[in-house]
Amino acid sequence: MKKKSFDTIKLGLFVLSALTLLIIALYVLGKNKTFFGNRFELKSQFRDVNGLLTGNNVRFSGIDVGSVLGIKILNDTVIEVTMNLNRNMKGFIRSNSIASIGTDGLIGNRVVNIEPAGGDFPFVNGGETLPSKEEVRTDEMLRTLYNTNKNVAKISEEVLNTMKLINNSSELTSLLNDKTLSQNLRISLQNLRNTTENASLMMKNAVSTLKLASEGKGALATVLTDTTLSADLKLAVGQIRTLENSADRLVNDLNQMVTSVEKDINQGNGSVNALLRDSIMANQMRASIKNVEKGTAAFAQDMEAAKSNFLFRGYFKKQEKEAAKAKKTAEMKAKQ
Amino acid sequence: MLILPNDLKSFIRETGEIFRFILRFFREGFRPRYEVAEFIRQCYVIGYKSLPLVALTAFIIGIVLTMQLRPTMVSYGVDVQIPAMVGVAIVREIGPILTALIFAGKIGSSIGAELGSMKVTEQIDAMEVSGTNPFKYLVVTRTLAAMLMLPVLVVLADGIALFGSFLGVNIYESLTFNLFFKKVFDNLIYIDVIPAFIKTFFFGFAVGIIGCFKGYYSEKGTEGVGLSANSSVVVSSVLIFIIDLVAVQIAELFQH
Repeated sequence: MKKKSFDTIKLGLFVLSALTLLIIALYVLGKNKTFFGNRFELKSQFRDVNGLLTGNNVRFSGIDVGSVLGIKILNDTVIEVTMNLNRNMKGFIRSNSIASIGTDGLIGNRVVNIEPAGGDFPFVNGGETLPSKEEVRTDEMLRTLYNTNKNVAKISEEVLNTMKLINNSSELTSLLNDKTLSQNLRISLQNLRNTTENASLMMKNAVSTLKLASEGKGALATVLTDTTLSADLKLAVGQIRTLENSADRLVNDLNQMVTSVEKDINQGNGSVNALLRDSIMANQMRASIKNVEKGTAAFAQDMEAAKSNFLFRGYFKKQEKEAAKAKKTAEMKAKQ
Repeated sequence: MLILPNDLKSFIRETGEIFRFILRFFREGFRPRYEVAEFIRQCYVIGYKSLPLVALTAFIIGIVLTMQLRPTMVSYGVDVQIPAMVGVAIVREIGPILTALIFAGKIGSSIGAELGSMKVTEQIDAMEVSGTNPFKYLVVTRTLAAMLMLPVLVVLADGIALFGSFLGVNIYESLTFNLFFKKVFDNLIYIDVIPAFIKTFFFGFAVGIIGCFKGYYSEKGTEGVGLSANSSVVVSSVLIFIIDLVAVQIAELFQH
């Protein structure tokens, strides 16, 4: 109880300071926003915040200028991120600056990057919604890389197979090892060059010839410009026409001849008719045919005699049997 | 009677006696007459006089914790999260437990020794004869003072430790005071602060009641005074950890 008042003041200060501290702490926790007064809010909307948490840093052109205050789902495709920024950034961030979600390093914390987009837009005043941009995501990057790797592996495998085929191909090897090939190729090329040279020379000549012709010089010009040539041609055509007329006449003569022969035959005049209608000649021919018939009958008799001869009998009997057999089979087939 | 080792038997007996002592505290503490003047004096002695020691340890632990965390955090590329991590560690656990242990060492032993010497010199008996309730005058005031002053000390210690941490961060990089505390408080929620604050009342109560109990029942003359001072520190320290264990489990229940 000694120094009581003095003790009480110290004790009061002690307790009050702790109480103040506690109250401030609880107040800050409750508000958790602009307690320190030198901050302002900006918003941005994303499709995917990619693991962003409240408290993650916000960067403007790479400088830490604040932190993420809240992440709210507006609907299934829009997520609103509220950022708390230093008040002194108000004079730097324009309202068209683009917010994107990135990573601090390759595997570090998520950060919101605000990048100036240029242009003479007004500076932010707090509460604006900045346009957003989807950043390249590491997992997407790795997925693409995985596909690329797979393709590269496939391609290298195919290249390897091709190389193997090339290495194992004896034709290709012999072709590659053939030393005469290059020589032949060189000769061929030489020939080709000569040919083209000749061709160009020819063309040159042709050009000069045509030039001469157009100037009225040379043989071609003579052909093209000579007036006597056309007269000759005209004459030749006239002669051809005369020849045609005489041919016509010849055909007419032949017609007349055939008509007169026909007439002779019908009227019994002339040698042709004699050949066709002479009865004596016909009798003579009939007698000749009779003689031939007699001759063949005698030959048939001789053949019969030959059949009965023991030398040929076997052969003829065999022939008869075969004939009988053939007949029988023909009957059978007919019955069926 | 159960056949138990003497140590265990005495442990159980002492537990029962402490429980009875606690019940007596509540019975007598809420009944007039109140020893207000003595209570305020005890608050000054127990609370205010402990502040320098608590402040120093808190300040040092703030710097040390930050510097110890830093290499690991940097290697993971999350050094910007040091304030957040230190904030959670200090507010949730290190502030309360460290302050309570220092408090137990300083106040527990002093109460134990003071009451023990009063007991062995029969001053307590003399009080009873003179008509003053020694339990009210000695035990209730000290226990209440300890119970109310420890939270105050813890709040101040948290603030000082965070300031130490701010200095620790600024050894390596330049971070404004505002941004540091912004980062700390951005990561704290009520469930971090409130249970941590509530449990300090129990810590303070444990330190006060054990110190008083050990002193009040001190025996064997001057030797007993030292023994009660010693055992009050040991028992209250262990109790602080047990209460902490219970508190974290209760807080966990509320968190989910």
